[in-house]
Amino acid sequence: MHSSFAKMIKVSQLTKTYRVYKKNPGLKGTLQALFKREWIDKVALDHVNLQIEPGEIVGLVGANGAGKTTLVKILSGIIHPTSGDVKVMGYTPFERKYAFRKQISLIMGQKAQLWWDLPAEDCFMLLKEIYEIPEDVYKKNLAHLVDALDVSRVMNIQIRRLSLGERMKMELIAALLHQPKVVFLDEPTIGLDMTAQKAVRDFILDYREKHKPIMILTSHYMEDIKQLAKRLVIIKDGKFVYDGDLDTIAKKHHTHKLINVTLGMNAEIDPNKLLLKHSEIIQRDGDLLKFKVDANEVTAALNEIFKTLEVSDVKVEEEDIADVIENLMKRNR
Amino acid sequence: MTKYLKLYSHFLKFSLSNSLQFRFDFTFRILMDCIFYVVNIMFFKVIFAHTSLLGGWTEEQVMIFVSAHLIVDALQMTFFSNGAWMIPVYINKGDLDYYLLRPVSDLFFLCLREFALNSFVNLIIAVVISIYFLTTSTIDFEWWQILLFYLLILNGSYIHLLIRIITITPVFWTHSGRGLEMAFWTLERFAERPDTIYKGWLRYSLMFILPFIALCSFPTRILFGESLLEVLGYCIGISVLFTFVARFLWKAGLKSYSSASS
Repeated sequence: MHSSFAKMIKVSQLTKTYRVYKKNPGLKGTLQALFKREWIDKVALDHVNLQIEPGEIVGLVGANGAGKTTLVKILSGIIHPTSGDVKVMGYTPFERKYAFRKQISLIMGQKAQLWWDLPAEDCFMLLKEIYEIPEDVYKKNLAHLVDALDVSRVMNIQIRRLSLGERMKMELIAALLHQPKVVFLDEPTIGLDMTAQKAVRDFILDYREKHKPIMILTSHYMEDIKQLAKRLVIIKDGKFVYDGDLDTIAKKHHTHKLINVTLGMNAEIDPNKLLLKHSEIIQRDGDLLKFKVDANEVTAALNEIFKTLEVSDVKVEEEDIADVIENLMKRNR
Repeated sequence: MTKYLKLYSHFLKFSLSNSLQFRFDFTFRILMDCIFYVVNIMFFKVIFAHTSLLGGWTEEQVMIFVSAHLIVDALQMTFFSNGAWMIPVYINKGDLDYYLLRPVSDLFFLCLREFALNSFVNLIIAVVISIYFLTTSTIDFEWWQILLFYLLILNGSYIHLLIRIITITPVFWTHSGRGLEMAFWTLERFAERPDTIYKGWLRYSLMFILPFIALCSFPTRILFGESLLEVLGYCIGISVLFTFVARFLWKAGLKSYSSASS
């Protein structure tokens, strides 16, 4: 696709500030604030620029309160920006045109969109009417989604009685029934167990393959970002501190490698011997040891390991991207 | 339009299946409202034990008015109240998000989602009461007067909802529990009395600022040979004007909606 193709999402100089008042702790502070209020502008987004093309999945990471959710809510039209320009598929989100709303979707892991007192089946029927999905398309989409997420058994159970994992799957179906062109995923796997996390992730990947929507994903689980996104935006105090390819960042910031060592039979280890100069032990499980080592000192570290330990097998591997991002965020904190 | 009718049929279906789950609660609620009806009627009966005219209206005129008020109340309880009750909660908790994302009118969804079957039973009772007072009255009515009377009552119930929304919108800025809605429920009691008793600035305030006398007083006037154009013009004018005011304030509120962070 040529790069001059109309950008699906174009954000320039976007700023959002919230006005909050400062309150000192305790009753005294409360009384003070009652009569004299000191207002401060809390900057949630500070002149950010972003362009996303069709089919891209962007991972948005940052600490709590960095501005991730604010950005997603502005892009989906829920809140108004303070200043700057936002265009999604050519629409200004906060104008909330029906044609715009029909083509987007937002999934918030911490906020239920489904009506708790209804079974999923009824919720989906309601969404069918809301999005005016033709009967045949609805049936086909629903059958596919229900099958892919394996929830046919619990379709007529009230949402409130479902497990968190089942509920999240229903939320995904609800969000994708109308085949949105832009999907915002805000912490889609939060609180889920490993199996459910994986199911959700696989499903999102599958949906992306088939429909090529734009996806913006925020998550605390680096595994989500690693598995789903190709592009990474790191946000800190309302500013983008990194925006680029996930692989590039991984290569650029792969400062460490991991050395997995299997010890020889009957090898007794003197704990003092594990305090090596060039590497640091990060995990020990029986005769398996895992060292973290500076990428430039792998040879030196290996020499040292062979010299001090009785080794039966050794394997050098790249540090996990998830850890790299995590480190990068810590550094920028 | 068909879309909204279809949606409403779903709302009805869901509400009906939910409301019959708790039979005792259901019956009690109907009984409570019946007590409310009896008290309202008794109140005026007591007054008319001491006087023969109230603000120029006779007892049978006031009784028809009371039945109009009971219908307006039952209508808003049946169609709007349960939905509208949640709006301030949604604004404060940031739960308005999903309503804003859907390609459908957010206020339609929020106000009409809950249909109260128990109040619908009360609505039927209220209509029966009004038919009783109309048929036992010594006044002669034309059929079109009666038709207009009921239509304007529907309009009155709509105005009731509009004023309520207007008093809810401050929640967007103040983040207080219910905004001015509590004041609304207090002031709403002005609607429980015939408008003829209000004079001067109070009357003007109740006609144009918080138009509570457009809910059931003016609709009742249509039966008593008042100027048709005046009554119709006023009632419809108020509902059009307040539709704009409510929409304007709602949109302004949404602009300030901060959607509590997750």
